[in-house]
Order: sequence, then C-alpha cells, then structure tokens
Amino acid sequence: MSFLSVQNHRPFHISDIPVISVSEFENSIRQSLQAGFRLISLFALNPEKSEKTVLAVLSNPLTSSISLTATQFSKDDHRFNSFAADFPQTNYFECELAEENLIIPNGHPWLRPVRKQSTVLGDQPYSLYQMEGEEVHEVAVGPIHAGVIEPGHFRFQCHGELVYHLEIVLGYQKRGIENLLLSANSRQQTILCESITGDTTIGHSMAHVLGIEALAHTNVSLKTQVLRSIAEELERVAMHLAGLGGIANDIGYAIGASSYGRLRTLVINGLALFCGSRFGKGFLVPGGLQFDPDEEAIEKLKSNLTTVLNDVSAINLVLFDSTSVLARLDHTGTVTREWASEIGMVGPAARASGIDLDTRSQFPYGAYRYFPIPLITLGTGDVFARTRIRALEIEDSIRFIFEQLDNLPAGSTQTKVNDLQPDSGVISVVEGWRGEIVHSLFTGSDGKLTRYKIKDPSFHNWYGLALALRNEAISDFPLCNKSFDLSYAGHDL
Amino acid sequence: MFESIRLRILQGDPIVHDVHHTVLPPLFRGMPQIQSEKCPEGCTICRDLCPTNAISLNPLKIDLGSCVFCPLCEKDCPENAIHFTNEKHITCSSREQLVVTGNEPGIKPEIASEKIRSYFGKSLKLRQISSGGCNACELELNALSNVNFDMGRFGIEFVASPRHADGIVITGPLTATMAEATQMCFDAVPDPKIVILFGACGISGGIFKDSPELNREFLDQHPVDLFIPGCPPHPLTFITGLLDWLDKK
Repeated sequence: MSFLSVQNHRPFHISDIPVISVSEFENSIRQSLQAGFRLISLFALNPEKSEKTVLAVLSNPLTSSISLTATQFSKDDHRFNSFAADFPQTNYFECELAEENLIIPNGHPWLRPVRKQSTVLGDQPYSLYQMEGEEVHEVAVGPIHAGVIEPGHFRFQCHGELVYHLEIVLGYQKRGIENLLLSANSRQQTILCESITGDTTIGHSMAHVLGIEALAHTNVSLKTQVLRSIAEELERVAMHLAGLGGIANDIGYAIGASSYGRLRTLVINGLALFCGSRFGKGFLVPGGLQFDPDEEAIEKLKSNLTTVLNDVSAINLVLFDSTSVLARLDHTGTVTREWASEIGMVGPAARASGIDLDTRSQFPYGAYRYFPIPLITLGTGDVFARTRIRALEIEDSIRFIFEQLDNLPAGSTQTKVNDLQPDSGVISVVEGWRGEIVHSLFTGSDGKLTRYKIKDPSFHNWYGLALALRNEAISDFPLCNKSFDLSYAGHDL
Repeated sequence: MFESIRLRILQGDPIVHDVHHTVLPPLFRGMPQIQSEKCPEGCTICRDLCPTNAISLNPLKIDLGSCVFCPLCEKDCPENAIHFTNEKHITCSSREQLVVTGNEPGIKPEIASEKIRSYFGKSLKLRQISSGGCNACELELNALSNVNFDMGRFGIEFVASPRHADGIVITGPLTATMAEATQMCFDAVPDPKIVILFGACGISGGIFKDSPELNREFLDQHPVDLFIPGCPPHPLTFITGLLDWLDKK
C-alpha cells in the first residue's frame, strides 16, 4: 500500500503512514492526481532534521477520502521530480517545500519565493518576472496600499491599460505561527489560531479545536457542534457582506456599499451577543465553547438576522438588476473552470467557476453531518459569479442559522479534554468563508505537538487572482482583487 | 432612482449618535474590574493562566497593552476577583497607564498638547499601516468609516497617501518584513505627526511577542501618542479615545 486512507478529523498513528521511496512517492502522487485527487498539503514532518520525511496530503471530494503518503529524503539527496508542469496545482506547494526545507523539485517550471520575497533555495537571488518591449511598462503597487488593508506587493507587466502578467509578492505578514504553535501551551494555541487571519477567526479556530479534540479522543455535545456551526455561518455572512460592500464601493455604487456595511454590523454585533467579540474571538476552545448564549441573545440575533435577510434581498435586487453594475461585473476577471481546476482553486471563487468543492458537504464535520448545507456553483467564473455566489451563500447561511436557532439542542457546552494521544496525527479540514482550511497536527511520544501545518484557502487562490488579471484592464484590478477577497496574513502565517 | 431612495429609507438611522454613552453588548470585554482583596494569599492561578503574561500580582494588575481579552483569568478565577466590564473607554496616552488595578471605572488619555490640538483638533487625517495585523484590527478600522460609526463627522479620516496624513496608525506586531516600509511611510508623513498603536499586537506584540519574525525597533525610535488596547479594539474605543485626547465634546 502506498497510501494511508484517513477520514477528516479522525486521528491515526504516524507509524501507519507508508514511507516509500522517492520514485514510488512520485508515481503514487502522479496517479492519484490523475485520478482526480487534489493536493491539499505538502510538507516535511520533521523540518529540523537533516533526513527529512515529506508528507503529501491528498483529498478526493467525490469519494470524501483523504490519502496520506510519505517519503524520506537522504541527507545528501534532497531532490524529487516536480509535478508542477503537468499538475499546476502542486506548483506553490513545491515552492513552499523548497523554501522551507531546501527540498528541490527537479524540472519545476518556475520556482519562486513564497514568503521570503527575494531569494529561492536558501540563497539564490530571485528577480520578479519582467517583460521587454517598446510599449511595455511595469506598475509596482505596495506593500502599503491605498486603503486600510494588509500589506502585499503587486507587480504588473502592462501594455497600455492591458495587464499581461501580474506577479504577487507576499510575506510581509509573516509572524511564524506554525513554529509558535509548537512552543505554546494549549490556551495560547487557540488564540494563535484565532489570529492566523482575524477575519476567519471562527474558521481557523474550528479547524484547530476539531484537530485537538480528535487527537484527544474527546467528543463534544451536539449543542456545542450546532453553536459552532452557527458561529461559522455568521462569520461567513458577515464577511460576504463585507465583500459585497467592497465590490459595491469599488464600482462606485455608494448606496450598496453603505447598506451592506450596515448589515454586516448587525451580524457581527450578533456574534458579539454570543461571545463578546465581534469576530468570535474567545468563543471556540478545545472541549467546547467559553460562552453559552442565553435566550435574550438568541432572540436579539434572530431579530438582527431577520432585518439582514429582508434588506439584503432588497439591495441584491437592485444591485444585480442594474445595467451599469452588471456592465462592470460581467466578463471581468474570468477564471475558467479548466484553469480553476488546474491550479486547485478553492472556496466560493472555485464554486463561481463551476467547481463542486465545499468541505461542508463533501467532508462534513460537526453539525453539518446532521444538517447538510447545499453546495451551490455558478459557471462563468467572472467577477459577477464571484459576487453572485456570495450573495446566494448569505441567504443559505442565514436560513441554516435560523433552522439551528429554532431547534437548539439542550446540553452542556463544555467537555473535559483528555491528553493528546502520543505519536498520532490528524488532518482537520473545514470550510472557512474563503474556502478549504487544512490544519495538520502531529504529536510526539510525549503527546506534545511536534508539527503543525496550516493551509489557508488563500494559499491556492492568490494564483487565481493573478490569472484573472490576464488581459484585463489594470483599472479593474481593485474590483478583481475584492472579488477574491484573499488573506495576506493567512498566506504568510 | 426610486429603488435607491427605497434603499436609503431602509437604512433608517443606523448611526451611533452618542459615541460616549452607547452601551456595548453585556459580554463585550473592555475595562476590567479587579477585586484584589478577594485574592487568597499565594494564589497565582490567573497569572499562570494568562496567555500573554499580562497579569502581575501583589497587588493584582492587568496590563491592557498585552491583554487579548480572552478572558481565561475571569473564567478560571475561583474567587471571581476579575470581571471584564463592557466599558469601552480604555484608550491611554502612556504605556504605564495601561497597567490597571481595576479600580478605575474607565481610563482616558491625557489631553494632547495645545500645539497638537491647534493643528489636529478640527481635522485629523491618518494613514494606517498593517505590519502583521491579522485583519481583525484592519476591519475594525474600516468599520470606523461605515454608516454606523461615521468617524468623518468628527473630522477624523483615513487617507491613502502618507503625504496627506497627520499621523500613522499601526496594527499588528511589527514584522521584520514590514520594517522598511513602515519607516518609509512614517518618514513620508509631514511634521508634526502622531503615532497611534491599535490593538494588543502593536502595543506589546500580543500573542506574537516571542516570535523571532518581528522587528519592533521602530517603536524604540519613535514616541507613541496613543495606545488603543483590545484584540481587536472596538471602533468606539478608537473614536472616544481620540475625542478625549483632542478634548472634543
């Protein structure tokens, strides 16, 4: 067997992962990518050692299966044959592996830095891609942008207004979270995960607590699971509203921008009624929840959401029916289904390009196992589709929240967490509002975490944004950027 | 057009009129109330629990500049000696002022100098710099411009160019990779200029304070005018803090 088949949020023994030769590793991964698996993580299990064990995590959304395979690189030979030319979805993972562990993908078409900006493979200088030609010009933006927004650098190769190529340089937000998690105690770990990206506080803390609970063989009550899903959907609604507001703002549609902003306030204030934080900080902890919302908070949240549902449909009607709005959104920043699938895009952006991919329905966890949420896709892959799908998801999420609030199970929201099982691992995949979040946790013989790997949905989707800009007017960059709404901090970790 | 008017009517009157007296949700964690007389001798539970080492003992004090308001100390104190109230007035003008004994109902920054008030009292333009900020602080700063908080009515606004700004607002723990850009941005702001730190990460490094990826030298070189504690701070903590500092109504 060249793979260990595992389930989402189910622990396994590290020794059960087959460690095969590098060439077998290459062949197995190739075969499974061909068979429709997606690479969702690739990293060294023991980055501190000179003989590194590299683990590949692949998932197949159609069969809801996750497969693990590993290989060991000898001290002197840190090379393998790159998959990226045939399977572009592995491109960025290979770059990350090269940057962090100096494991070199032979024949990689374009090895570039992930978080270190100006060097690849330890010390080789890297220059940004540049086009030459009489009328070609280059535009550099960032790391500090015009708005109140995180830092990142964008380099456009343009011909007049047209963008030929966009290269995105990140790493300005690097805080070293994966390493900090290993030296942190369990309370600090939860707070660190909430801060991977603050706009996805619930999503990342959900991935974390589910991972920890799996490793600790701890089951939480149904009430806890339902309240966690309510929080996750509230976060989704809030951030989708923020995104729609941003898109309305970028096309100069002021009443839309202010209306969506007002409604987002109602949603995040609703979350604050549950846990005191407008972002859900401090709500989820391993073993349950720190707060158990009372009847009054629930009633107030329902009344807020009734307003949101009513007003958002009124605004959507106007937004999606206005010719001048549609003229900006339609056929702008298109990522075809083929491209999106090739580069492994995730989340609403992938669903807007027609890809069936939603962890909540394909790898259901927590309350989504009992109360499924519909998977919606659109086909056009343009800014319109990425906007529309967020509007549709808002409505579905609010409906889900109402259903759950009306049938909230009784019970406790706190369970004692057992010690983590030694020499074990777990793959924790959840659907944040941006898409698939993967946390891979591993313990050592003393039951302490020895490796913590995080994959934010933005890790895939930044490349999608670069592709969306091809042959677009540079003036549409803000609009395209907002339609993807990606995280800098989540990428940089 | 009629549709737009209808949407405007739907908006109603969402603005927070009285920023000082609006009461935040009961669970919101702002100014802590500490009853250190309840502390049994030798008890160190809260200090040992605190994920950012914000608590010192004898007497019990909380450093709001490090606190991430998680609130483990409140939850796990067997004597119920700590309670985070929903009081949002916690902006300070000095780092020492952030270490509270919890007997204060709220804290206010010292009023800015005559010179600062004459320059910025009526119009204050700020350039935000995110240096490792997780986007929670950034979203709360963005929320200041929405129809609920509408900070522009007080003459305070965020601007795109540092050349148009009167000061900078830093979010995040100050990453090494942003050190150069942060300095360049600050240098581009014309004098006189102010520095505001927004959130626990900026003030102390917060949960990231032990990260080797940080470079906080900028703060050694430049004095800070205002500290806004929180994780993230509430938008009203920012507005009320600035209004108090500028001695506006």
